Amino acid sequence: MSNYNSNDALLEVFIFELSQLINQLEEQILTNEKMNYYSDSAVNEIFRIMHTLKGSSVMMGFENISSLAHSMEDLFYYIRRDGGQAIDFSELVDILLECVDFLKVEELKIREGYSLEGENSELLKKIKNLIPTINKEIKVKKIPCNNEILFSPISSQKDENNADHFYQAHIRFEDEISMENMRAYSIVHNLREVQNEIYYIPLDIIDNPDSAKIICKNGFYIFIRTGCCYETINNILRKALFINQLDLIEISDAKEFKQQVELFIQEDLMDEKIEIIDEQRDNVFEIRNEKSLSMQQNYVSAQESSVSMQHSFFGTQENSVSVQQNNISSQNNHFSTQQNHNSSQQSIISVNVTKLDKLMDLVGEMVIAKAMVIQNSDLAGLTLNNFNKSARQLNKITAEIQDMVMAIRMVPLSTTFHRMHRIIRDMNKKLGKETELIIIGENTEVDKNIIEHISDPLMHLIRNSVDHGIEMPEERILKGKSKSGNITIEAKNSGSDVHIQIKDDGKGLDRKKILQKAKENHMLTKTEEDISDSELFNMILSPGFSTKEIITEFSGRGVGMDVVSTNIELVGGSVSVESIPEQGTTITLKIPLTLAIIDGINIKVGSTFYTIPTTNIKEFFRPDITNIIRDPHGNNMIMVRGQCYLILKLADLFEVKGASSDFSNGIMIMMEENEKIICLFADELLGQQQVVVKTLPDYILRSKKIKGISGCTLLGNGGISLIIDVAALLRLDV
Amino acid sequence: MKKVLIVDDASFIRMLVKKLLTENGFEIAGEAEDGKSGVEKYKELKPDIVTMDITMPIMSGIEALKEIMEFDRNANVMMLTAMGQQSMVLEAINFGAKSFVVKPFKDDIFINTIKQILL
Amino acid sequence: MTEIDLSDSVTEEDTQKGRYLTFTLGKETYGLEIRYVTEIICIQAITELPELSEYLKGIINLRGKIIPVMDVRLRFKKDYCEYNDRTCIIVININEISVGLIVDGVSEVLSIDEKDIVDPPKINSTFQNGYIKNIGKVGSDVKLLLDCKKLLSEDELVEIDKAIS
Repeated sequence: MSNYNSNDALLEVFIFELSQLINQLEEQILTNEKMNYYSDSAVNEIFRIMHTLKGSSVMMGFENISSLAHSMEDLFYYIRRDGGQAIDFSELVDILLECVDFLKVEELKIREGYSLEGENSELLKKIKNLIPTINKEIKVKKIPCNNEILFSPISSQKDENNADHFYQAHIRFEDEISMENMRAYSIVHNLREVQNEIYYIPLDIIDNPDSAKIICKNGFYIFIRTGCCYETINNILRKALFINQLDLIEISDAKEFKQQVELFIQEDLMDEKIEIIDEQRDNVFEIRNEKSLSMQQNYVSAQESSVSMQHSFFGTQENSVSVQQNNISSQNNHFSTQQNHNSSQQSIISVNVTKLDKLMDLVGEMVIAKAMVIQNSDLAGLTLNNFNKSARQLNKITAEIQDMVMAIRMVPLSTTFHRMHRIIRDMNKKLGKETELIIIGENTEVDKNIIEHISDPLMHLIRNSVDHGIEMPEERILKGKSKSGNITIEAKNSGSDVHIQIKDDGKGLDRKKILQKAKENHMLTKTEEDISDSELFNMILSPGFSTKEIITEFSGRGVGMDVVSTNIELVGGSVSVESIPEQGTTITLKIPLTLAIIDGINIKVGSTFYTIPTTNIKEFFRPDITNIIRDPHGNNMIMVRGQCYLILKLADLFEVKGASSDFSNGIMIMMEENEKIICLFADELLGQQQVVVKTLPDYILRSKKIKGISGCTLLGNGGISLIIDVAALLRLDV
Repeated sequence: MKKVLIVDDASFIRMLVKKLLTENGFEIAGEAEDGKSGVEKYKELKPDIVTMDITMPIMSGIEALKEIMEFDRNANVMMLTAMGQQSMVLEAINFGAKSFVVKPFKDDIFINTIKQILL
Repeated sequence: MTEIDLSDSVTEEDTQKGRYLTFTLGKETYGLEIRYVTEIICIQAITELPELSEYLKGIINLRGKIIPVMDVRLRFKKDYCEYNDRTCIIVININEISVGLIVDGVSEVLSIDEKDIVDPPKINSTFQNGYIKNIGKVGSDVKLLLDCKKLLSEDELVEIDKAIS
């Protein structure tokens, strides 16, 4: 059993959330794409997702994810604040999806335990370029003018108390606490009630994050005129957190106070100005390198206007205050228009899948143990009325527990289906086609283990449909069809299976081409006229089969459809293909609701036990020798109600010793799968049983995959019964 | 033991913070994953201190902070934010947040901030 | 014969190193490192599987777990011997894979000092030597100590085949 230390648990939760966030993000990006703009609520949602992503990834130390998230957050912050009109929408969407893809790759790397070296600088540059130069211009305006330093306090209170005291405080914060400017602001905030006049340096702690650097270097200065005594001010200041050094000195009179303030403000302005000029110079170099002429021109003209622009010190302050007010009001707007989050209010807990698997195993063993008790040979022949009553009750409860555990493992197909939107979008773009995706029955649920095996086949089928099936828009119009093609994915429950249908209204399968290919590959067992459409079309599921002349990036290698059918069969399902020329193609996946427990009929051949899934059994009977014939190839056939069926002797196929070869001494079981029928001959029919499917040991599967056996199960008497894979047996003989 | 209410929409962060707090001798009063339930839980559990994420769905950390401060003038709320949300931090301070911690944070800074607020 | 569960007899990894479970096939005695052995059981009903190599006899039900079983005689290309009530199955577990080894009989657990263990002869004179890790001297006897991993691997077989022919 794996050792679960808390760091592993943290990482798992992180990965789980990461994948959820990525999915949410992609969904938001795609659903709004059609409208050609992003609504306020979409923008806010994306912003929130990026912020959360940034926070979590930075805690785990995943730099490249957090820096990308930060960049996207900035982008959406800009959009939120200024509206997105200045940005080219389709370019935005492309870049966003590129980001999503990057994140998906990083997520995969984390899951597999590889180190993250994803290069995101290209992407970061692209995002940065999206944000128009307006941003840059604002910085330019901030150069303060030397000459007119208006001596005005940052804030002051009207009431003048008794004796005024003047203080100068110099504060240094502890290293590495970050956002020193905000901490400084916090202190100023705490002083607001006691100050009559207050100044602080650096000045722009509110809107310039870089002031944090200055505070780190020089410390934070506060000049305050107040009625309070030294003690009080000292106490208020000391209450602030993470202060490394605090020097509070009292200044003797108003004149000296004014002098000191002026001195410090001037110095600070000087520093700030130098910094801004440095930055602008860097920006110019950057722009030159980026070769965007228009941007350069804009910038040059902005430079020129800034030289002539003289802002008063006071004016700069006002600017920053009004900017701040704008921020707050935009925040308020954001709150009022924000829609309710998608997640439902139900109580949901997330459970580790290993626990569910273990629970499933235990339920399986319970079913077996129950059978061993109730069908115990010790009880044969006894009259057990009370026992039987209790046994029935036990059966009932066990069945309920089984159902419940199955239900817990069920997961709706919606997430898988929704991923197809992205595929269609990409395919459309790459091939220049127009395709709409309609999803029906997405709430249909399937066992968690099975979901993983559906995703890839589904993707491939969708790609195939768009690539081979849906015609180019012009062609469709010529044919009188709607300009954009339609692909419908529909899921529904049918008995103990789930049926998933992928239907397109494209040009359908080309019978002639498939026939041709089948001939080339020597796959035709019947003549051209005899072979039905459905038999022919189902041939495309075989390996190496592809009628597409050119192999595209997406399809044409003949590997895909084969992979689809293998994957589906791996979970015990089946694939069938139907098509009508010019109208479209429909592919149906039949998948069992659950892997683990099936209804089966137990039979005996020789000394070996086998189980046939009940869903595959049409009927069973004692054969009449007169109905059994041999065909020229030596195959045994049986006539049933005028129809001829092939007989399969398991004894021969599986080389079972001690089996009966006399047809009059055994039982014939008519098995069916996908409308193909074969008759199995067995020695004895043992009875019906609900059977827990166990896979054959890996050790054996690794050396050879046994055709015709899909697994095994434990019988009530402790013996092992091999479960027959009817579809595989039928394929062997066709 | 001092009781803490953790409000954050990322279950990953909640898990991390919970672990950190319990290792340092704090009791977890409860958790909430959005501002609205954060306020409700505060009123119900009356913790000694709240760690509040700034951006959350339904009701943001700032809104929740406001409501909590209105309910309890002496409430101790510590904001949790990722780098770069200056204006929001500013707002939080204005509305009465006692302090803030920036992600990525070092464990000792987080704990020390809480301890200092509770002094 | 009753089931012998060996898990209690060992306390530390280290103490297992020099300990071997010995079993017989005809006249020869082989040894398996104890740390790979999880239990010893009597021969029981084996469900045969088609298409497998001759020495893979099939699968058995071990308290609900399905385990493949290998006839070691056939693995070493010796003659097949009918199973009787003294035939045992030694269940070994390497890297989470459990396999049952069908042997004529189980002898005892021996402690063999490192100094009494020597390398096997370089020349592959008999087939089984491919599976032998080294040779242990116990008194005047010689025990052939097997390499469990090689026993279970599929590939080795082919190479050894070539070496012989």
